[in-house]
Order: sequence, then C-alpha cells, then structure tokens
Amino acid sequence: MRYREALNQALREEMEADESVFIMGEDVGVFQGAFKVTAGLLEDFGEKRVRDTPISENTIVGMGVGAAMAGLRPVVEIMTVNFALLAMDQIVNHAAAIHYMFAGQARVPMVIRMPQGAGHQLGPTHSHSFEAFFLHVPGLLVAAPSTPADAKGLLKAAIRDDNPVVFIEHETLYGQRGEVPENGGPMRFGEAAVRREGEDVTVVGISRMAGTALKAAEELAEKHEIDAEVIDPRTLRPLDLDTILDSVKKTNRAVIVEEGWPHGGVGANLAALIQEQAFDWLDAPVQRVTGADVPMPYSKPLEQAAFPHSEHVVQAALATFRDV
Amino acid sequence: MASDVTMPRLSDSMEEGTILKWLVDEGGAVKRGEPLVEIETDKANMTYESDTDGVLVEVVAKEGDTLAIGEVIARIGEAGEAKSGGEERKEEPEAEAEEDPEPEPEEKRTATATKERPKPSSTNGAGDGGRVKASPVARRMAEELGVELARLEGSGPGGRIVKADVEAAAGDGGAKPATAEPEAEPAEAPQPARGEAGAKGEVEVHDLTRLQQTVTRRMAESKATAPDFALTLDVDMTGAVALRERLKEVAEQAPSFNDMVVKAAASALTEHPKVNGAYRDGRFELYGNVNVGVAVAAQDALVVPTIFGADQKSLGAIAREARRLIERVREKQITPPELSGGTFTVSNLGMFGIERFTAIINPPQAAILTVGALAKRPAVDDRGRVVARDQMTLTLVCDHRILYGADGAQFLARVKELLEQPLSLAL
Repeated sequence: MRYREALNQALREEMEADESVFIMGEDVGVFQGAFKVTAGLLEDFGEKRVRDTPISENTIVGMGVGAAMAGLRPVVEIMTVNFALLAMDQIVNHAAAIHYMFAGQARVPMVIRMPQGAGHQLGPTHSHSFEAFFLHVPGLLVAAPSTPADAKGLLKAAIRDDNPVVFIEHETLYGQRGEVPENGGPMRFGEAAVRREGEDVTVVGISRMAGTALKAAEELAEKHEIDAEVIDPRTLRPLDLDTILDSVKKTNRAVIVEEGWPHGGVGANLAALIQEQAFDWLDAPVQRVTGADVPMPYSKPLEQAAFPHSEHVVQAALATFRDV
Repeated sequence: MASDVTMPRLSDSMEEGTILKWLVDEGGAVKRGEPLVEIETDKANMTYESDTDGVLVEVVAKEGDTLAIGEVIARIGEAGEAKSGGEERKEEPEAEAEEDPEPEPEEKRTATATKERPKPSSTNGAGDGGRVKASPVARRMAEELGVELARLEGSGPGGRIVKADVEAAAGDGGAKPATAEPEAEPAEAPQPARGEAGAKGEVEVHDLTRLQQTVTRRMAESKATAPDFALTLDVDMTGAVALRERLKEVAEQAPSFNDMVVKAAASALTEHPKVNGAYRDGRFELYGNVNVGVAVAAQDALVVPTIFGADQKSLGAIAREARRLIERVREKQITPPELSGGTFTVSNLGMFGIERFTAIINPPQAAILTVGALAKRPAVDDRGRVVARDQMTLTLVCDHRILYGADGAQFLARVKELLEQPLSLAL
C-alpha cells in the first residue's frame, strides 16, 4: 500500500468510526487533495464532513480550533508546511495554548496535516522542512511518519488524541509503498522504531531521512564494516528519548539526520539531550546531518545539494570513528 | 610548506620519548636517512633519522622534553621558511589555564560551526594546552579501569583517545597504576637536586631516567601480581670446568659458564613448555620460540637483551651473541627489538661472589633462573668422603600461577643434569 493510500484509509476508518471527525482544507474535496490523500472521501462522506475552503490558512486552522473546542474532531489539511506559517497565530497562540489558558476546561482535539520536503522543484515557498518550528511549541504533539504503516497508525492515533497534533507528511513519500497491517489500530505516540539494529553507531533519521539513514547504514556495513543502528523516532513530541539513549549507550556514537535547517533544528535539540543525558557514554561528538542553511533553491541540482543524501550520512558516521 | 616531524614509535611498549640531543641545529640542512635526533625510549637510546630532505625549520621539542608518540618534535621545510606559530606555541602554557575548564569563547564556537575546524593532529593532544584529548566514555572507563590516559595514543578523530583505546590498554595489562606524569623529565644524567638538610643530612634528589622508570614499574608489577617461590640446587661443575679448559685451547674466546647455563636452560625449556610460557589474563601462553634474556647491569639500571632461538643455537653461537649484546648494552647501542620478545631470563651475580640469590620475575615470563658464584666447595662423593668440587648454585624463581613446585623442580633438575654432563651442550 502506498503512503497516501494508508493516510486515506486512516481518515476513512476514523470517519466511519466517529461521526465527529471531519476534514477541512484547500482542494480536499472536489480536487481530492493536492496530493490525493483525500481521494473518494467527499463522495463517500458528503460536503458536511469534507469541506473545501478558500485559500485562508489562518482561518482554516482557526475554524478547526473552534470546532474542536465545540466537541468535533477536525482534521485540517494545509497544502504544504510552508503555508502553515500563515496559520502560526492559530496554531501557536490558540490550538497549543487553549488547554492551558482555560485550565483544562477546553481542549482542542484537532489534527493539522501538512506535507513537507524538497525534491519537486517547488522552490523556497513550498519545499521546506519545518518540524523544528512545531517541536518548539509546548502543547502541540508532532508526528513525522516515514512509512505507510506508521502514516496510518499514527494518523489514527492523532485523530483520537485530545491534544492538537501537527501531523507532518512528506511530499516524496506519498508514492512510496510499504506493508500496512490489515485492520491495524492506532499506534502509540512516543514509541521510536529501531529500523536496523547495530552495534557501532546510532543514526537517528527524522521523517524521510529515516530511509536515507537506512540506506547509509547498508553502505556503512558493506563498504566500511560499520554496523549502524538506525532509529526512526516517528513522533518528535512526545519523543522516545529512552530508545535513543539506550542505543547511544550501546554504540557510544550518534548521528542525527534531518532535512530541515541546521540552526535550532531537531538535531540540535536532540544532540543537546544526548549530551545532557549520555555524556559519559559518548566516544565522539554527536554529528548532525542537516539541510543546507539556505532557503530551498529552485534549480534542480542546487535543490538536490540542499538536503541530505545517504553519502552525507556515511561521511558523518565515519567522522565519529576517524578523521575524514 | 614545512612538514611536521613527530615523536616516532621506537619500540612496542614505547608511549613517550625524551629528546636527548638534536644532531642538527635549527636552520641546518637535513638529509633523508641521516641522523636527526637522539631519543630516549622506555628501553634504550635511539638515533632517529630524518625521513625527508630539507631544512630543520623549527625545533619544537627541546632537549630534555618528553613527549607522547605522535606529537610534533620539529618541522622540516625549505630554507628561509618561517617558523609556524612559534609565537602561539610559546604562549600556550599561559593560555591553557584559562582555556581548559572554561566554556569556549563565543568566537571560537562560531568558527567551529562555520566549518573552520581545527586541523586534526595525530596526537592525543597531550601537549595541546595540557589537556589530554579523550572522549567522555573513554575518560569514564579509564577512571574505572585505572588506565592513565596521558600514556595512551588516541586512534579517534584528531587523535582523540576513544573507548577502544582504553579497552585495549586495560586488556593487555596496560592498566597501569595511575601515577603523576613526570614533567619535563631530565634526559639521561639527571642533575641531582638538593633538598633541605635534616636528620639525614643534605638530600640529593635524582629523577629517574626512562629506563629506570620502566624497571621500577615492571618490577613492582611483577611482585604485586606474581605469587612466586624459589627452588635452589647445587650443580657440580667439575665437568663444565674441564670442558671450558679444553674449549679455551681451541677457541679464542671460550664460552663462559653463564653461556653454558643459557644453553642448558634453552635445551631444558624445549622439554618443559610451561617454563617457556606465561600466565596472562587467566590463560597460559606457551611460546613456540625459546628466547632467553640475559640480565645486564648497565646505564644505571637493568637491561635484558634477548638471545633469540637459543635452543637452536650452538654453545659457541650463544657465547658470541651474548658477548655482542652485552657490548651493545654497555655502549648504549642496544635497540628495542633486541630487548623484547624474551620468554625466559637468566640472571648472574656470581662474578660478585654471590653464592645464591632470588630475583624478581621478568613479567609476564613464568620463571627466572639465577646463577651464583662458581667455587670449590666441600662435597660428599659416592664413597662418603668429603672432597673439594667445583660447584655452583642455581635458583629458579617461579610464578606459581603457571609453574607448580614439581614443574619447576623437574626443569631445574634437567638443567643441572645438562650442566653436569656438559658434552651434550657442545653438540
């Protein structure tokens, strides 16, 4: 099953199971979603539960916040992560804060879905990776699934969760196939997946970079006799730090791979957590592999150069062993 | 562009070396293969040759300086080339105090983030601001295992000491008691320092040479770890004395009695493999080659050159080799390879009239054989009469972890048998 089909299935199942679940966003109905994630849902669930909206991100999220406070379970779609910036007021000042502002009397059980990532030559206004922005905000849960199975399991969990969830998908993963368990239920947030077990170096890959890390691990094994352990955190908040720390205590080395910018990134944060909590187990400085510190270029070769590939991960892993 | 000359590894066990003498002055021309500097290792004094042509642009390590393997001792480049960072280097010792425990200044961190990483050097950075470069896990393990980081060579990026280095050091018995690193120790003939006069009078304080440090460490290690016992017996040397008289007639330099002991021991070792072995890390190691070390007093310390494959060599060959090695020790020409690889040791104080003595096992060997003075002493012959016979006392000090009383006794009895029937030694 493809990643987009897994998401579609999660939406469909949750809408069938719970009448309060509804979808809102730009082109989610008639056009069936910019990336076809909502294909067939308008037809099956009708206009009241699959609502096309104008181009008005802050309003879309704001309506979702209100609907959630009133007892519904909105799933709003933002066409790309870059457009979520227009809705930051609603996401940060409202969705994330309301539960705290009203001492728990109100809650915002809402999912904000958005795809991120480079590779389709959509330039700097469509192609960034912003999980770090949302990770920064207390009150939000953040998921970044990298496989069809996780996409489905985590989206189901996100819809059922009473907290606002920023659900980050990846544009280049929509077409990716993978096994999805039949009748699989919701997954738990805060459980990392060990994609590959290894003894020598821990490689943490965020979102699409989990796959890139896995590819690098194969190369490390084949060409460099380095046995890498690859961890996909799956959700960044809550973060399964225990699994990562256990791995680092075993391997004594850590590499963090993310597509976003280096400064204040997920890797910067995780590197700090690792050195705070596993300093005496480290055999080398924590390495970060990140996207380039520039707005995403439109030019194809430049765009390719601006986000990490497996060879960058291999180099970073080697650097924890020797001068490279 | 000048290139760095680093402290070379001149022996297996060498961790650091002391610059004894620069054989080329700063600014002087050097040629590949020509002597550049004399270095004192833990075992011997060595002349190190340049491996490149050029001009000795800068002498970084001064005579008397002790540096870890891999640290820069000099720079060789082209004539007229400026010293690199000479100023900086001199300032380092002052800078280190502030630099070390404090967080890096903001500027420096920014520089790191923008990829202006410091150029990796091949040392553990012990000289770089005085702080040994080791990873956190290596530091923790070194403390737990009692490994002294300053003595290790780092294999990690930039020469950083990593976990594997500490494990290796702890694994091969390198878990040395952490002792304070002697600072800039004197090279060879340390100048005695004068302490205050007290009840013991004026005190001369001598720093140990590297060789003395090695002897100190290894002897203490042996006594602390090997449960030893000694076996003693008298050997009738009448036959050996007669043999030597006859050999003197045919050879310019007849083999000594000590050479005969070495030969007899080597032969007996082939029949008693445990004596030619070692207890190491919970296992017995039995060695295929018989390499007998001969203890020689020299250089204000103890040096044990090795006669390799002694069981395969004739008595004459052993005698020639022993003489050559002792000469090289006394002339300080001996090189580390000639001092390592021993599987058994013979120590002789007979020339000083010592009748018998016990010695400290040369670790990790299983035993050491000591030789007392050869002299006419009363003995009782087959017919019960007291007669004067040439006799010599041998003592075998054994590590009970590998050699038990009966093992040692059988070996020693075999040595006695061979010496009392010395013709077999001449075969």
